[in-house]
Amino acid sequence: MDIVKDMLLPCIYSLIASIAFGVQFNIRFRHMLAAGIGAMLTQLIFTCFEVSGMGQMLCYFFAAAAVSVYSELMARRVHVPVNMYLVIGIIPLVPGGYMYNTMITLVGGDIESFSHQFAEAVGIAGSIAMGVFAVSAIVRLCRIITKQAI
Amino acid sequence: MEITAKELLQITSGIGSMLIEYGAEIYRVEDSIYRIAAVYGFSGRNSGGEKKIEVFAIPASLIITVNDGNEAPLTQTVRISVRGTNLDRVDKLNNLSRYICVEKPDVETINRHIREIGERKVYGYPVRLMSYAVVGATFSLFFGGTPFDALFAGLISMAVFAVSIFVNKVKPSVFFQSVIGSVVIAAMAVLVSKAGLTDSFDKIIIGASMNLVPGVTLTNCMRDFIAGDFLAGMYTLTEAILVAVGMAVGAASSIALVSMI
Repeated sequence: MDIVKDMLLPCIYSLIASIAFGVQFNIRFRHMLAAGIGAMLTQLIFTCFEVSGMGQMLCYFFAAAAVSVYSELMARRVHVPVNMYLVIGIIPLVPGGYMYNTMITLVGGDIESFSHQFAEAVGIAGSIAMGVFAVSAIVRLCRIITKQAI
Repeated sequence: MEITAKELLQITSGIGSMLIEYGAEIYRVEDSIYRIAAVYGFSGRNSGGEKKIEVFAIPASLIITVNDGNEAPLTQTVRISVRGTNLDRVDKLNNLSRYICVEKPDVETINRHIREIGERKVYGYPVRLMSYAVVGATFSLFFGGTPFDALFAGLISMAVFAVSIFVNKVKPSVFFQSVIGSVVIAAMAVLVSKAGLTDSFDKIIIGASMNLVPGVTLTNCMRDFIAGDFLAGMYTLTEAILVAVGMAVGAASSIALVSMI
């Protein structure tokens, strides 16, 4: 595999794109950079898992879990809502290609590939949600135990 | 520093409705209000005490009831029809409620802070236009497009931004917004490829469409479900699904129609 093309460039793209998304969500510049690095890490972790031959859904799950951990830690450190980092961080994982293919195959009337693509897109979205779920639930549990502010 | 039930109601409904409008999670809204009220001696839900406060929030409305034990309970309902995303203001409102919990300031100070937060600067049109272009172009490259695809995705994203400013003036539903955005993207992308400027329009559409993805809505949905706010979670989930369906409908119809030309 081509390290620059398959690994480095997507990371850089997700960094730039997530900083631009930060503008759309009205995040101040100093938070934007940290959030962008979160998105870059997500992409990097996702690629690493994918290269190691892990199943696709699990890759999405662990990448989403990783970005949740990063956001929780960063948010705790600089005292901002977790959302600010999480929303930006999971953007590289959005299965845009699968969603598009789902639509195109439906328009073309190819029901077999449509159901395949649709299941794939829904599965990926579910995996991402579960990744975020798992980490947030654990963090919540810890905070309830230690009686800290949520 | 004592405050009356009426003043508490005014402060909490102000902060709560702003939090919802700027895209905070619903459990954060309820939690902030309970914390602020507790500082002034109004206890919520399960704790004892004469003075009581109850909050019910969903993304569409906020209901607060304050009971100071002597007079009839006071209730205020705030209907929230338009929501946007301004995470900077959510952050500042969060800081404000933390500040209230520590310092217990008087009503004028709180009102001044709320006004200041409402007047915080947002990014201007040129910067947001550029951000749309950058998102479209980089995601086009990210999903495997050529530099030419990226260029056109960026230009089309700018067009979508311009169209969305005009469309938002009539305050359409989220479904309609995403249909319009998607129609513009797909029609322009197909025209570009028809003109022979690029080989295929797939990557242009995918890249430019990323601007319409309901990221904040989905994240809030997940976090509300975890917090146990199922009603709020269902509301935002429905909204996110509607936006996704709207994008698909817009792009599909637009591709089918424009391809016939």
